[in-house]
Amino acid sequence: MKRRAFAGLTAAGGFAAVMGTAGCTDSSDSSSADVFTAIETEIDANAPINPYNQKTNSFQGYNAMKLGWAKNSLTDANAFYPALAASWSETPDHLKLTVKLRPDAKWSDGKPVTADDVKASAAVSFSQGGGAFAVAPGAAGGVGAVKVIDAHTIEFDQSPGSSNNSFLRNVLNMWVVPNSVYGPQMPANIWDLIKTATDPKASKKDQAAAQGKVQALGKKLVEFGPKKDVSAGPFVLQRVNPGEAVLVKNTHFFDADKIAPSKVVLKNYSGNEQIWNYLIAGELDAAIYTATPANVRKKILAKQGNKMISGFSPVAAALAFNQSVKPLDNVHVRRALAYLIDRKLTTKIGESIGGAPSQTTTGLISDAANAWIGQAAVDKLNQYPHDAGKGEAELKKAGMSKKGGQWIQANGKPFTLQLQVPNGFSDWIAGGKSISSQLTDAGIKTEVKTSADYATYLSEIAEGKYQLGFWLIALGPSTHDAYARLYGPSNGWNQFGANVQHSAPGKNGNWMGGAEKATIPGLGTINPGELTNKLAQANEAQQKEIVAKLAAYSNDQLPAIQIWDYTNIQFVNESRFTNYPKNDSDVLRLHPGMWMQLGYIQKKK
Amino acid sequence: MSTTVDLPVSGPAVVPARRTGFWRNLWKVLKRKPSRMVGAAIVAVFVLTGIVGPWLYPDNLPRDSDQILAGPSASHLLGTDFEGTDVLALLITGTRYVLVAAAFAALITVLIGTAFGLYAGYRRGAPDSVLMRITDFVLTIPGFPLLLVLSTVWKFSSALQMGLVLGLTGWGGLARSVRSATLSLRERGFVEAARGLGMPTRHIVTRELLPNIAPYVAMNLLIGVTTFIYSQVGLFYLGVLPFTSNNWGVMIQLAVTNGVTQTGAGLGYLMAPLVSILLLTLGVVLLVDALDEVFNPRLRED
Repeated sequence: MKRRAFAGLTAAGGFAAVMGTAGCTDSSDSSSADVFTAIETEIDANAPINPYNQKTNSFQGYNAMKLGWAKNSLTDANAFYPALAASWSETPDHLKLTVKLRPDAKWSDGKPVTADDVKASAAVSFSQGGGAFAVAPGAAGGVGAVKVIDAHTIEFDQSPGSSNNSFLRNVLNMWVVPNSVYGPQMPANIWDLIKTATDPKASKKDQAAAQGKVQALGKKLVEFGPKKDVSAGPFVLQRVNPGEAVLVKNTHFFDADKIAPSKVVLKNYSGNEQIWNYLIAGELDAAIYTATPANVRKKILAKQGNKMISGFSPVAAALAFNQSVKPLDNVHVRRALAYLIDRKLTTKIGESIGGAPSQTTTGLISDAANAWIGQAAVDKLNQYPHDAGKGEAELKKAGMSKKGGQWIQANGKPFTLQLQVPNGFSDWIAGGKSISSQLTDAGIKTEVKTSADYATYLSEIAEGKYQLGFWLIALGPSTHDAYARLYGPSNGWNQFGANVQHSAPGKNGNWMGGAEKATIPGLGTINPGELTNKLAQANEAQQKEIVAKLAAYSNDQLPAIQIWDYTNIQFVNESRFTNYPKNDSDVLRLHPGMWMQLGYIQKKK
Repeated sequence: MSTTVDLPVSGPAVVPARRTGFWRNLWKVLKRKPSRMVGAAIVAVFVLTGIVGPWLYPDNLPRDSDQILAGPSASHLLGTDFEGTDVLALLITGTRYVLVAAAFAALITVLIGTAFGLYAGYRRGAPDSVLMRITDFVLTIPGFPLLLVLSTVWKFSSALQMGLVLGLTGWGGLARSVRSATLSLRERGFVEAARGLGMPTRHIVTRELLPNIAPYVAMNLLIGVTTFIYSQVGLFYLGVLPFTSNNWGVMIQLAVTNGVTQTGAGLGYLMAPLVSILLLTLGVVLLVDALDEVFNPRLRED
């Protein structure tokens, strides 16, 4: 997937922010031997120093910290490395989580990081909503209570009524911000408001009023940012301008001796091409995942010191159907397309470096499917090999016939398709073009259409405006999250408390329009949305059983055709720093600032 | 997005009365300078390509996945694209859309701009004020940003739609110039004579003024084609219009996003549409040089 950015800055605004923060930048920043230069995200000089804001000058792993850092695991979504939390323990039913903070953790102003900071952060998280901090009574997996046990111990209780296995990871994933900075921004009765807003027993009127106040506070808090950075991470923001953010080492950081660079320069970018140019010039010590064509990769690796690290990525690109559009509601048509699309060729054209053709459609990336249900079980599923004959047979089963090289539907209309891709996603555009060529060759005239940008694409796909389009699926490692991409709100299943309810196509965000239930050979009638919901509360053995059913359902019913599994490709440069993570390391989805905290990245001697 | 060339206001040429004279003069003028022949040949080749090009290839162009972004070879004279499609085939099949859209836009510009300019310049007074305020309004519209906005609601799937929008936003400059010329012409003796003979406005505008403005308008039509090629290719390059793999703008965009500028691999994919645009512009400019001499006797060297 291509990363695309629009700086959206004005020179004047950027300049004001520079002056407001620290002054001007100098070109010598990135040339010094112990300066680490990287590209992480788009830099917005006007953004607040607030990790809760999407446009932020708090950079994860550098000056923005969590309780723990998620490991890249195929099957364990709750595997974390300690960050501000030294350790944690959870009851087997996931109802109670006790977190012990590092006693030596300090903010960059010298104050200790305490349980009060974490509690204040939980309040800020509630104001933003979502996940464990949904401001809704009885939300599944929500935080019911936060108790400060002592200065470095804090307890989180899950709301009664559910024992969601995502509770731990949602809490550990919370951004931790200083109470001394954010506390004064919140009313004294913030926890009373949160309790009323999330208490199923509270009157509807009180509940609505409290929810309104919490949400209003959320809007205020997300825009808030201190003038001076107060960081518990290894770095603290020194200055920012539209071109780069400069962070200097935080001497109060608990593991400061592990941190090799004295300074970090995070460059801004506005598109893949800019990142490629920096990498080809050898100017970056590390860069975020960037879709890179084979020819560009070759050029990047030709630069002395540049190296590529790769590992699995729990994400797959799929071609998703809007089954409200005929004849895509016919499973034989979807199966025909699965046979007619050559996944290997499509991956070669679209994502030759950062992707591997999906073995088949299971709803999980191939490695995760094998890990959960075993290679033998995956092999037994329909592999949908590229086979024009089988594709044609399926189209005939759907009542179509071929005339003059073009497939004609039973109603006499030619079977044509429009495949939608967002502008800027070069791999989806190229892959989509390849699919359109293949299907057109097979007698299904297919046209590629582009949406102006990804936001427009997401909004229009949700409105059911597209017939079929690229869709990210298998977002692991949580099996619930992975299958929620296929059997969640976009396909009609919405959460109500601990349960889900199915909405008709076109309602409540249901653009996929799949059947609520289907009979799968050997498994009987399955409601995939309900099974997906059960994954959230299932133990490992139960998850295996459910995943096997959902993989079979996805393979048989094909709400989407899995095209390629992404590979996490990252480029680093070993000219100035060494000891980067190895291929397939479980830290590969973390950022270099987190790598440094874990002892990676040392000065080259 | 207006397009104009300088008009010899002080001494408008009288258009040759018969078409045969025009073609004979054009041929004579073309032969005088080899550069003009080159220009005419370039334009002719592109026009011919636009007409017959799409018939030379199948709708779904063949691809060779072992030749992705390949350089020029005997089988692919200009190399291949990201899918292994022959760049020459893309270029040839994509010419029609580009030319039709640009020509249609130029035609609309000329029709509206000439009609507004002639009528406003001849009638003056209230009609002039009204038409010129409308013209001013069109001139103040930032054409390219407007097209960017329009592209979010209108998908420009046909070349005529694209040409229509480009033309409707681009006639302001021509209307202003034609009006200026008309203001000058209307004071000349032959127009005054026509008025004195009681000729109706329609006769004076279409039979006395228009023939004298026509050379200028014809040259604007040609120059407008190149301008509108830039505009539409720019829109496609920005990726705001439907994906059509053989559109010249899309070719440039995809060449860039596939790292051609970084690596040089598949350079033909990037250079083919760029060089085509340059060649077409060059051809039009050289041809306009010839037309200028045909229409303006004072420039003739014989």
